[in-house]
Amino acid sequence: MTTHLSATVLNALIDGELPLEQFAATKEHLDQCPSCTSSALSQALLKTATAKAGQRYTLPPQLQERLRRVASSPDLDQAPVARNNVAQTWSIRRIAPLALPIAAILLVLASASLLIERYAKNSERASVERAALVTEISDLHIATLASDQPPEVISSDRHTVKPWFQGKLPFSFNLPENLPADTRLDGANLTYLHNHAVAQLLYSIGRHRVSVFIQERSAPATQNPPQAEHSGFHVTGFGTGDLEVTAISDVDPSRLSGLVRAIEEAQTKH
Amino acid sequence: MALLRWDVTKTKRALRESVGGPSTFEDLALPLLPALYNVASWLSRNATDAEDLVQETFLKALRGFDSFEPGSNFKAWIFRILRNTYLTSRSGLQAQRTVSLDEQLEEQRDFGPAIYPEAAIDRSTPEISLILSADRAALHDAMEKLPAPLLEVILMCDVEEMKYKDIASVLDLPIGTVMSRIARARAALRNSLEAAMAFNRESRA
Repeated sequence: MTTHLSATVLNALIDGELPLEQFAATKEHLDQCPSCTSSALSQALLKTATAKAGQRYTLPPQLQERLRRVASSPDLDQAPVARNNVAQTWSIRRIAPLALPIAAILLVLASASLLIERYAKNSERASVERAALVTEISDLHIATLASDQPPEVISSDRHTVKPWFQGKLPFSFNLPENLPADTRLDGANLTYLHNHAVAQLLYSIGRHRVSVFIQERSAPATQNPPQAEHSGFHVTGFGTGDLEVTAISDVDPSRLSGLVRAIEEAQTKH
Repeated sequence: MALLRWDVTKTKRALRESVGGPSTFEDLALPLLPALYNVASWLSRNATDAEDLVQETFLKALRGFDSFEPGSNFKAWIFRILRNTYLTSRSGLQAQRTVSLDEQLEEQRDFGPAIYPEAAIDRSTPEISLILSADRAALHDAMEKLPAPLLEVILMCDVEEMKYKDIASVLDLPIGTVMSRIARARAALRNSLEAAMAFNRESRA
């Protein structure tokens, strides 16, 4: 017995991952080797302690509730099941003269209640979706800033950048001819938001870099374009009938808005 | 002859339901939220980023649930989404810039046959002392010092009790690499604990 068990074998042993054919040999070794037995015991204790210490952070109840509602909201469109009111027929007969007005009031109240509940859930879902969109856009922008890779299309010419997306995106958009002062187009990337292909236009305003994401509107406008601050970046945008445009940068918000306005005007001018 | 519509979504749902276990996204995902948040908090080291990470993961999983293969491991599937989302997040990019795991792995590729020297039959190892003293803070510190690629593997293995093959699936790595990272992570934890205990001994002396 000259070779001790390797760290990998000891770990596989305590993790219950040792192949059966190796297990017998390992057990035989442990029976004869106090050193490896001690090591295995230490590793097992460390695993137990790590498992306990690792359970450190508790899920905030409001996050849990918010996501629970988001998960359940796709079923909102299902019509509520009608309740059987046969047993109440006698009482309706008694109050027959008032039945119609009461029924109308109840119907209005029930509809209003359902609408309010649905609106609240939809609004909460929209709010969560918007927050997730801002986070994802922020991540993409930061990844672009951190990347050493040049844009997929490098050009300051809108007549080069726009045609580059032909066949890559299922929609089209316009780029402004005249940009605000000290603003230039650097290029663009094809990227993905919520698993949908989107255009990421890259601009510079002075030394600040800007990402403008243009995506196809997948559903009728139900929410306002995001206006947010995230991780030190300003996020703003606009929507048209077919497109959703979101810009992000750490440049002064008024200068970012100037660029966004120019892009918005370009959608209507052409 | 009427043509039958082939609806993949419905077929997958039907298959899920025929399996008999929990079939809805809610049934599968909601119980995992505490675990997702715990791992997200460890990785991002920031409560706000952790909430963002969990929320983004949850929405991605909800939208992509139809691509989940019934009968496969949902926990591994959603943790993979969490991990990929983390990698493109601000904290994930920071972690990648701070530590180049590949460099570390190259430096220590050769794992010796034994982690302790022969005859080092020490009944008072750092782990045993740690358990006896219930010093969870020391272990928290040791875990916080782990680079993200080693921390994530130890969280999945020890805290989430995932199998090596599932961890390999989440991290998109060969099982051998998962095993070596687990070994490396435990060695690093042990070294940190030993250092902390030596420091405590010196402080008391």
